[in-house]
Amino acid sequence: MNTTEIPLKDPSVSAAASDTEQLERAYIDASTRVPVLMFYTSAIAWLIVGTVLAMVVSFKLHSPDLFGDISFLTWGRLRPAHMNTMVYGWASMAGMGTAVWLMARLCRTTLRFPLLLAAGAAFWNLGVLIGVGAILLGDSTGFQWLEFPRYVAVILFVAYTLMASWAVLMFRHRRGDQIYITQWYLLGAFLWFPWLYAAGQLMLFVVPVQGVLQSAVTWWYANNLLFLWFGAIALGTAYYMIPKVIGRPVYSYHLATIGFWTYALFSSWTGMTRLIDGPFPAWMITASIAATILTMIPVATVGLNHHLTMQGYFPLLRYSPTLRFTVFGAMSYTVFSVIGVLISFRSVASYVNFSQVSIAYTHLGLYAFFTMTIFGSMYYIVPRLVGREWRYGSLIKLHFWASAYGIGLMTLMLLAGGFLQGSNLENPALPFSESIETVLPYLRGRSLAGILLTVSHFIFAYHFGLMLLGLGRTSTVPTFLNPVEAETSGGH
Amino acid sequence: MKGLAPLFLGIFGTFAFSWIGLTVIPTWQMGDLNPESDEEGTDIYPRPQSGMFDRGEHVYAANGCVYCHTQQVRADYIADDIERKWGNRRSTPRDYIFDRPVFLGKMRMGQDLANIGARAPTPEESPSASGGASPAGAPATQAAAGSPSPGPSVAATGPPGTQATSAAQASSPPAGAAESPAASPSKLASLHTSPAPPGQRTGVASPSPGQMANTTPGGSSPVAPSAQTPGAPWPIQTAGFPPMYSAAWHHVHLYAPRSINLDSNMPAYRFLYEKRRIAGERSADALQLSGSDMPPEGWEVVPSYDAKCLVAYLIGLNQFHGLKEARSLGGAPPTGGAPAPAVQGASPPPPPGAAK
Repeated sequence: MNTTEIPLKDPSVSAAASDTEQLERAYIDASTRVPVLMFYTSAIAWLIVGTVLAMVVSFKLHSPDLFGDISFLTWGRLRPAHMNTMVYGWASMAGMGTAVWLMARLCRTTLRFPLLLAAGAAFWNLGVLIGVGAILLGDSTGFQWLEFPRYVAVILFVAYTLMASWAVLMFRHRRGDQIYITQWYLLGAFLWFPWLYAAGQLMLFVVPVQGVLQSAVTWWYANNLLFLWFGAIALGTAYYMIPKVIGRPVYSYHLATIGFWTYALFSSWTGMTRLIDGPFPAWMITASIAATILTMIPVATVGLNHHLTMQGYFPLLRYSPTLRFTVFGAMSYTVFSVIGVLISFRSVASYVNFSQVSIAYTHLGLYAFFTMTIFGSMYYIVPRLVGREWRYGSLIKLHFWASAYGIGLMTLMLLAGGFLQGSNLENPALPFSESIETVLPYLRGRSLAGILLTVSHFIFAYHFGLMLLGLGRTSTVPTFLNPVEAETSGGH
Repeated sequence: MKGLAPLFLGIFGTFAFSWIGLTVIPTWQMGDLNPESDEEGTDIYPRPQSGMFDRGEHVYAANGCVYCHTQQVRADYIADDIERKWGNRRSTPRDYIFDRPVFLGKMRMGQDLANIGARAPTPEESPSASGGASPAGAPATQAAAGSPSPGPSVAATGPPGTQATSAAQASSPPAGAAESPAASPSKLASLHTSPAPPGQRTGVASPSPGQMANTTPGGSSPVAPSAQTPGAPWPIQTAGFPPMYSAAWHHVHLYAPRSINLDSNMPAYRFLYEKRRIAGERSADALQLSGSDMPPEGWEVVPSYDAKCLVAYLIGLNQFHGLKEARSLGGAPPTGGAPAPAVQGASPPPPPGAAK
């Protein structure tokens, strides 16, 4: 490993950074203030909306008569509304906020053309708002992950074009010709998303493909959105935050290279594992299963790289909110991928294919991996935008534990319940309703986990609101989760 | 990594690889399938469906049925879908060539619906398949007598696809079938080779294994509660409801799922129905509700057009037609219409509460 190749500098609180660099960074951070805060504020608002929807969805699944008679509160509309709010409202906007900030920092240039971004964010919000409204009013397209009607897709695309053109312009103005690992992932995400979205829209609505191919396109899109858009942003963020917080370069650049290219190559082929045993040619599904197994290569290299970077610094997890959330996210990436491999084996899939296990899998990816990583980055970035430190270490701690236990419990409930549901479903001696009876207690447990997550999100939104109103602490020391003893005061 | 060019090329290359591999090549391979027909070119399957079917498809999409119901039957050597009577062969790409959007689904919180229409009794057995409950008069007697229905029939408003076709083709047999209700059970047994051991067919309420749809259970007692029959994929409904999986049954089930199956956790779709005061005579398509779901005296519950389309869609879901690429197993396609009248004859009179 050649450490001089790594353009990372020591953490900003460290004395090693020169005054000029600190000043430069402060300038760059200040220039990103308006657009990034706009993304974050919108994202957190959508997070709250999506959380409330999620609660209703979760409770209605085991208590179907809740709000039964109202058309826009029927389960089959609330569920896609929740999904799309989270995917396009919360996750995409939060991810773009973090990506924009990282881009500006890594290109080492102040953010230009903030209006492009602000307009993009505004259009995006409009698109999500209309889209979720349309779903609730019964105008869903019926394609999972792409329920927004066509006119919304147009709005989102305009919004995205504004933001993508910003990214290209930023890249042209970057200083230094080193491209850091994070930038590979972010550049990939910025380019993959529009292609994905356009391909999905084109093949489903403009020149619609025939019959079951619609499902192939839908799941190809869904898995690629999960991996190449959310996953790429989260991995890029982790590659920045972990070394940054502990003040140590990434362990191996070469491992990172292998990890990135194998990730791009294999994870983009995994979509058909959602269609195992379905009416498709066997080669499509087999190719996806093989690709899923091969995703163990990027998982191993990325995980190893993060682990070796962190080695000796794990005690810092006690103090730094950013590090704790990010490391949780990075570890969840491994768990998410391993579960993905397990449920993609044909023998397992024939049991769990149509059970709650697939819901567990999606939440592992979108929440435990992506959302937790993004929470971490927000704890790092927001103080640098508003010039205040987080007000209460205790609230951050509460947020972390409620989120961690919430998503942990939820995953366990859905995995355990789903496996039982699936095995009862595959036992013809039992009536079909038995498989539902089996999973219901687990779904109630999932609702309990949902309450934990709701608490955590409201706490976070409140805390973020305080920061936005300038009510954070005025201090030169970041807010730690626990009081820092003298010897570890270097980290944040 | 230095230089943008390799990075850009790599990003585009990996993505293009997956795009071409998983969407473009499959489109070349099977993106232009045609319906299959026999040598004379008459028996065409699948066929494009009616306007009501298409609209029902959108109601299905709008209300998110796909999040709990799949529409795919997996092969018998993989899963027990066929053993659960969800189909007589695996689903193939050709089954879906007219579906837009296609609802393969990813979750079975409810039953598979790929063949829900095949389980419906044929129009002769259920005179008002496209509407709701039977027209004014005693529905049970009417059905038992096999008399042509004065109410709207599937052939008139339903999908012109398989179901309507079968209705049209089957329009001759009812007389014969109704003539000899006693002979029908044996006919039924010979028609539908039962893969389930006969021991599982307990009680009169048991549906025929090959074709449970055509049964109205509880024939012995109109007050029989919801009973679970071993081997039956679904608990037998409470007596007094329309024949299982008939259009009228679907309406009652959509309006009040727990009145038919206590354990069901399907949401009620009451917003698709209208509760209104009876003006003059009770509507032909008013729902046959019971218990607490019954509207107050002088009121009735009628399906909206969307509800009718949704049911027309469900009735049109039928993959029983044989295809060269998929071996058919077990039960014959229930399009004959022969067996049901016998069972219909045993169907109980409507519960007192449902009286007009």
